[in-house]
Amino acid sequence: MAQANAQARHRPGSCQETGVCPIVAFPEVVNIDEIRDEAPEVKTFYLSFLDPELAAQFTLKSGQFIMCTVFGAGEFAVSLPPSPENDRFHITVRAVGKVTHALHALRPGDKLGVRGPFGNGFPFDEIKGRNIIYVAGGIGLIPLRSSIVHALQHREEFGRIILLYGARSARDLLYQEDIVEWKKNEGFETFITIDRPEAGWSGHVGFVNKLIEAAGVPVDNTVAFVCGPPVMFNSVIDELLRRGMSEHDIVSTLERQMKCGIGKCQHCSIGRTLVCTDGPVYTYHQIKTLGEVI
Amino acid sequence: MSIYLVSSEEIKALALDLQKTHEVYGPQLKPPGGQVFFDLLAAGEVPDLDAAIPSMPVKEILFPQMERILKYRYDPEAQQVEIEKQYAEKPKVLFGLRPCDLNGILCLDRFFLGQEFVDDVYLVHRRQSILISNTCSAPWDQCLCVCTHSGPAAEEGFDLDLTRLDDGYLVQVGSAKGQAIADAQGWQPAGEEHLAAKKAVIERSIASFPELAKDNKAWISRAMNRMTTGFIKHEIWEYIGNQCLECGACAFVCPTCSCFNIEDAQQCGGDCERLRTRDSCSFEGYARMAGDHNPRKPVEDRRNKRFFCKLSYSQSKKYLRPGCVGCGRCQWVCPGDIGLPNVVQYIRRETSA
Repeated sequence: MAQANAQARHRPGSCQETGVCPIVAFPEVVNIDEIRDEAPEVKTFYLSFLDPELAAQFTLKSGQFIMCTVFGAGEFAVSLPPSPENDRFHITVRAVGKVTHALHALRPGDKLGVRGPFGNGFPFDEIKGRNIIYVAGGIGLIPLRSSIVHALQHREEFGRIILLYGARSARDLLYQEDIVEWKKNEGFETFITIDRPEAGWSGHVGFVNKLIEAAGVPVDNTVAFVCGPPVMFNSVIDELLRRGMSEHDIVSTLERQMKCGIGKCQHCSIGRTLVCTDGPVYTYHQIKTLGEVI
Repeated sequence: MSIYLVSSEEIKALALDLQKTHEVYGPQLKPPGGQVFFDLLAAGEVPDLDAAIPSMPVKEILFPQMERILKYRYDPEAQQVEIEKQYAEKPKVLFGLRPCDLNGILCLDRFFLGQEFVDDVYLVHRRQSILISNTCSAPWDQCLCVCTHSGPAAEEGFDLDLTRLDDGYLVQVGSAKGQAIADAQGWQPAGEEHLAAKKAVIERSIASFPELAKDNKAWISRAMNRMTTGFIKHEIWEYIGNQCLECGACAFVCPTCSCFNIEDAQQCGGDCERLRTRDSCSFEGYARMAGDHNPRKPVEDRRNKRFFCKLSYSQSKKYLRPGCVGCGRCQWVCPGDIGLPNVVQYIRRETSA
């Protein structure tokens, strides 16, 4: 199969330019090494390629996604939470539909298929020297994790790094061990909120847009990465714009139904763009001008 | 570009010759006296070059409605999996393409082979295929290729192009592949007078186009302008959306529609297959995600999307031309009367008001 994929073509130059040559046509087999419960209905699957050559070659950019095959169920698009540097290859998935439920029924040692990585990814080199605000709602933290870890691996190259994170309840908070680790970095500020008060919770309560005020987020020389459900997304954007943030400095990653991942099936089209090849990362300015509602 | 004058008998001989090495597809009446289909010719059969426009576009041959692309055997007990690629290369000849259908294939080529990624499945179908087009001397009631610059004669993209003249067929060579075929057949060269005769055929053909097509000529570009800039009232889309029955027929008969779905057959036990099936943006589930979030729920948003795809400049960049090739099939099949020509009419009515 590795050989067949080597023959699968992309436009000359395109994959050399980015340095990331994705697995295009056929899924490559990965082993599930370990499964961790993150939160109710959410699990993290640690994966490794069976083909050692591929394991060595496989590189990703933060913000990219893969097409993951659950054998016997189907294929789904999923964002990549690992950092591009020195991180275990894993995916974090909530059981929502047919395929993700089948995925949750698997056990360590089972196999999955992987194509990708696809998509443009979050800006990184372009935003060096600036403050970064991460605003995540619920499982919106999953795609942002990659960028957070990557930024912390280059901590000295950025200004303030602030994470604003909201979930339905305390047990829905993802990556709690990671967050403890991240907090050890100097100048990494974390604000966490849950929707409703509950016993044993002494932190913030309310929606994540309220944290923007509480954190006193900077606006100048700052870029905001926002990811979450549409309602949360809109309220956060409104608040950031109200505080004077530029539409070009608000970055998000969009989710759409995807079948091919390579810009052919068209299921992920929004206006004139395809989320799989033009996205999934867009600035708010771009999102506004796509010509269709989000 | 070489030109030849070839008799009907020689054309038949060519079709039979090609059958020895290729799967030859061509127009034929099915059953005799019935509808025209562009289908695989049985051994010894020749294409009916006088047949009307086929009822289905030829994309069926290069981009089938349903196709198995992958097979895998999964053993959950042993936790083992074997994956096997399923599509294979077969040299094909598409013999007697109408220029609208030829242009449809060129659109699919540019989209599937010319963007960031190359579509491997389509490439395998297309790589060894030979395209033989046939100048259209008798447009049908709903034809509008004169408006979309895709007929009645082919201008590019063919390997061989045929035009029926009084004394045989004028054959024009369009590629090295076509030239190799011509050389092997040993045809008589044609002259300037035959090119002039072809011109007369084209002019007669254009003159016989229905009123709608002549009427629409300038308005396709006006509609494109409106689509691109978004200056179309929402009420127009609502009206069009209300007419839509969401049957998806327009997409299935459109030579340039290329959306597809990928599904793994369910309840497959250990032996599973992955199918690629054509899809239509008019279906409600088209953009719906797991968890039921559907960014394109109202039917008018989905209709808007289809015509945006066919007519806007930004989409046209993918095809290097408008996404409509003027075959008129959507107009035939649409039970709600919102085929592309009618939508152009609605936009026209609004903008002239």
